[in-house]
Amino acid sequence: MSPPGDYARLVEPARVHKSVYADPAVFDAEMERIFGRAWIYVGHESQTPSPGNYWTTLIGREPVIMVRGQDGAVRVLHNRCPHKGARIISEACGTLGSVIRCPYHGWMFGLDGKVRNVPFRAGYEGTGFNPDDPEFSLRPVARAGAYRGFVFCSLAADGPDLAAYLGGVASSLDNFVDRAPDGEVEVAGGVMRVMQRSNWKIFLENLMDTGHPQATHESSFVAARQTVKSRLGGATPFRLHIIEGNGEPASFWESLELHCFEHGHSFMGAIFNAPKDELSLDYLATLARQVGSERAQAIISVNRHNTVIYPSCSPHTGFQQLRVIRPIAVDRTMVEIFTFRLKGTSEAFFQRTINYTNIVNSPSSTVMVDDVEVYRRCQEGVDRQGGDWVSQHRQAGRESATGDEILAIGTSEAPIRNQYRAWASYMKDAH
Amino acid sequence: MGADLGLQHRIEQLLFREADCLDRRDWDGWEALFAPDGMYWVPLGHDQADPLNHASLFFEDSIMRDVRRRRLDQVHAWSQHPVTYAARIVGNVRIVAGTDDAPTLRVRSTFQMTEWRRGSDLRQLAGHYTHDLVAIDEAWRIALKRVDLINCDGAHECFEIFI
Repeated sequence: MSPPGDYARLVEPARVHKSVYADPAVFDAEMERIFGRAWIYVGHESQTPSPGNYWTTLIGREPVIMVRGQDGAVRVLHNRCPHKGARIISEACGTLGSVIRCPYHGWMFGLDGKVRNVPFRAGYEGTGFNPDDPEFSLRPVARAGAYRGFVFCSLAADGPDLAAYLGGVASSLDNFVDRAPDGEVEVAGGVMRVMQRSNWKIFLENLMDTGHPQATHESSFVAARQTVKSRLGGATPFRLHIIEGNGEPASFWESLELHCFEHGHSFMGAIFNAPKDELSLDYLATLARQVGSERAQAIISVNRHNTVIYPSCSPHTGFQQLRVIRPIAVDRTMVEIFTFRLKGTSEAFFQRTINYTNIVNSPSSTVMVDDVEVYRRCQEGVDRQGGDWVSQHRQAGRESATGDEILAIGTSEAPIRNQYRAWASYMKDAH
Repeated sequence: MGADLGLQHRIEQLLFREADCLDRRDWDGWEALFAPDGMYWVPLGHDQADPLNHASLFFEDSIMRDVRRRRLDQVHAWSQHPVTYAARIVGNVRIVAGTDDAPTLRVRSTFQMTEWRRGSDLRQLAGHYTHDLVAIDEAWRIALKRVDLINCDGAHECFEIFI
């Protein structure tokens, strides 16, 4: 295998060495060089609407707290007491008073992370303990920022700012929010968490892989077709359309457009047409009342299926879903799935969003089960001797570049190759 | 009292028969226990009150159950190569609302379920069932089967089969 520091050699223009998925040393390096540097999704501002509200998650291996301070600012702090190192907050989300208190010795910190008080204060006098030294406060992450309410952080002090990092893929977050008649979105309806026995990159690649649905998802789209025929007289309701859609022919997938950007980002054109049912038309009318007909048409005509904001999240603008990748180990990945309410829409509209979440993003999804199964089979194969390289040759060399964007036809593996260009750039040196 | 014991016995037998259908992968037999508009619900949250405005691990009517049943029997259901085997134990069965001559009953019980697929680790699931039963043609049918997993809000590997 490659010597440490030379991981970029594992990536060739249309193939990658299997060790990128299987070698624990590569995973360790990724946590430092990718998840320790890139802008990683933390959470949405609506999860902490008031001072003291918090949300906890993982940035690479680092447990963090996203908390709203008394001053209204949202901060991202390491979830680690500076005293003995104890994790301070164990719940996924909740509300604090005006202080954060460590359960071990009762050190108290403001919601901004600064140490406020420590018990036995007299015992610290003249010992080198200094409340003004950041060493004794909860450490903020190196950089935190929000793009239209979506909070990201970087564990590195240097690098592009968030807007520059997102570049052309920011348009998916714009469209996500622009679809709200009142101009804002909020997390609602609970958080799904799915555990995959496979490397995090396998999931990110699959989100942009239109070559798999016909083979992988045969069981669910055939079953849905049978149900439509035998129980519904051939009329496909929306909730079955989203399962059946995976059975579209090759020409359908080829007709999509794939758009790739710097830093590994990409999005694909829509695979589901904007629904024309009463609920959708009612929503469009509401949007038009708020922003004008022309603007409303422009907003909903930005019709995309998956977007990947490399390496941490995937918004789905049309169905108000955000999938967040939390790598746990070289062969284990947790995906956090958030559902959003578009402010200014009807209860029925949100209920359809929830319906989509249940069908597509629940760990019980009849679609997802076969994805997760093939991910696991790939993970087994990359740790075996039957071959050394993983192919990404589909439509290789046939992409076209326009400005800062790379365009490819729907069945190209261009977005996957684009992810590995970013991967190699992060991984090429110890920085 | 004798009538109550008889009802208790019949309800227990119904729950045991249901568990047996699921253990044997007799999806059609299981479906036949439901009322035509019966629902199957596995909440995502503890004490979740609302299946419509909050996500669920499963929230399925007969149409969505039909898709799942058919999928499990497809030749190319890859995640069922090999299939999932399961054994359920149902206990602590209590009729918490309704009587023998009432139109509806609510039954609470506790379950343990062990799952296995060759090549995978055993998985242990546990929780509480709530069955809302309705009398149709002199038989109790399931109007709602609610499954509250003790780890409903945890990070889950995929659920392949009905719980």
